[in-house]
Amino acid sequence: MAVLEMKQVRKIFGSGHTEVEALKPTDFSSQQGELIAVIGPSGSGKSTFLTIAGGLQTPTSGQVFMNGTDITKLKEKQRSAIRLKEIGFVLQSSNLVPFLNVKQQMRLLDKVKKHNLPSEKLQELYQTLGIHKLLNSFPSDLSGGEKQRVAIAKALYTDPSIILADEPTASLDSDRAFEVMEMLQEITTKSNKTTIVVTHDTRLIDYCDKVYQITDGRLALQTEQAQS
Amino acid sequence: MFLAWNEMKNNKLRFTLIVGVLLLVSYLVFLLSGLANGLEDMNKAAVDKWEAQGVILTEESDVNLPQSSLSLEDYDGEGADEFASLAQISSIATSGDNKSNVALFGIHADEFIMPDITEGETFQNDNEVVADASLKEEGFELGDELQLASTEEKLTIVGFTDNAKFIAAPVLYTDLQTVHKVRYGEAAEMYKEQINAFVIRTDDLSNVDVKEALEVVDTTTFIENLPGYSEQKLTLNFMIYFLFVISAVVLAIFLYVLTIQKISIFGVMKAQGISSKYLANSVIAQTFLLAAAGVVLGFLLTMVTGFFLPDIVPIAFNYLDLLLYGIVLVFVSVLGALFSIQTIVKIDPLKAIGG
Repeated sequence: MAVLEMKQVRKIFGSGHTEVEALKPTDFSSQQGELIAVIGPSGSGKSTFLTIAGGLQTPTSGQVFMNGTDITKLKEKQRSAIRLKEIGFVLQSSNLVPFLNVKQQMRLLDKVKKHNLPSEKLQELYQTLGIHKLLNSFPSDLSGGEKQRVAIAKALYTDPSIILADEPTASLDSDRAFEVMEMLQEITTKSNKTTIVVTHDTRLIDYCDKVYQITDGRLALQTEQAQS
Repeated sequence: MFLAWNEMKNNKLRFTLIVGVLLLVSYLVFLLSGLANGLEDMNKAAVDKWEAQGVILTEESDVNLPQSSLSLEDYDGEGADEFASLAQISSIATSGDNKSNVALFGIHADEFIMPDITEGETFQNDNEVVADASLKEEGFELGDELQLASTEEKLTIVGFTDNAKFIAAPVLYTDLQTVHKVRYGEAAEMYKEQINAFVIRTDDLSNVDVKEALEVVDTTTFIENLPGYSEQKLTLNFMIYFLFVISAVVLAIFLYVLTIQKISIFGVMKAQGISSKYLANSVIAQTFLLAAAGVVLGFLLTMVTGFFLPDIVPIAFNYLDLLLYGIVLVFVSVLGALFSIQTIVKIDPLKAIGG
């Protein structure tokens, strides 16, 4: 079963002469262990695609299945619960709470969701992401790369089946950007997650199993690499 | 609570300022409450001391003690468990350099409105008085001879009692004859039956039967009709009620500004699946902690202020009132947070992540 599946998903904003078709009828499917890039220029519909995939907005028509559940039929409260359980977001700007240190960022998730990663797994994650020495640091004390690694840890801590990353390397220099992509690749493979990275940075596509191009709201598979 | 507490811990200055504002508001509420009580006591302490349920006055007096004039023969105690006669006049007492407004209460020493003596002895003869202890703070002493304004009569302080003020003036308790002499001079004998009121104790005022042209007034109504009493009380109470509204509005504005500043982070949290309910609870918990801290500190500051205020300031704290006002302050502050909660509920996570 596909972890995330879209069937004829279409999104229209506005009406009449202000109508804009941000996402043309789209079919999309992703499996466990896949790292997928969706690339395209600004205004191409990348964010619309990602937010519909993440249950942050509903499509005008079509269906979005997350682990078999059609989330387009759910109310916001139910979609919110699904987001918490199934999706880990890594956002363009840091998604860290400014007044919580790294350890507390994870504890916040403990307060709202049970059955997160066990302690030993979390320590392992800290080690993997190289943030084990930053646990008492606040976001303002971290560099852009460190923030992004903590954001990845936060996204993974709830043990989601899908990781949605929106321009995760936008604020990073090339070395840090590649480092983050390597981590996402490793985590996707090791933990059998589905990771979808939305980016306009074509240098990142080498790390991905599938690359989709989105242009004027039309999503098309560009390349598919053979699984190693 | 987790989010609320950690945010406060990491933004100490910002939240200290908010607590400071609430501290000042609650301090003002508590002080005003103390002043309102103190002023009430100044007006009615002597009446409270009667522990009576009603007062008989003439109907034409319009519940004004000095305007009521009746005779000792006008009431025989029908329907009352106990009753006491009262003649009252106001004057100015002078002894050497000491001068004070006083209320002279003419009573029968064997009736229940005779107060307990805290110092000295009760009056035995004409022109002897038992004075309210507050006169001691003004320099009056046992044995002082008091010259009253507009009379040749001189009174001697033979005892003191506490908490005996009437319309902000210390009470001098004496016998009826002395009051008549002060009031009528040489014609006192002619008016020896004349008094202002009967004070009655009874379980049921409706059983009290009085002559035509007299009326039975319950003690609460009697107090509320003391000159200036209700106006003073209303004014101070209005100030307190307005302060409740002000504290709610001030805190609402502060929290609203803080919420607006955090819209993006709330949005990101909502995108991650953290519910509006959790975030709203966090704001309520934060408001509660801030308001409770402000109120507790305001209370402590009020107590310290009360301790250092000179005795001339009429302040008396009713702790039950303070507790109630404290609870109301916290409650209205939490109500003020509802604006912010409405904002949180409306935050669109999509906008927060730039979708």
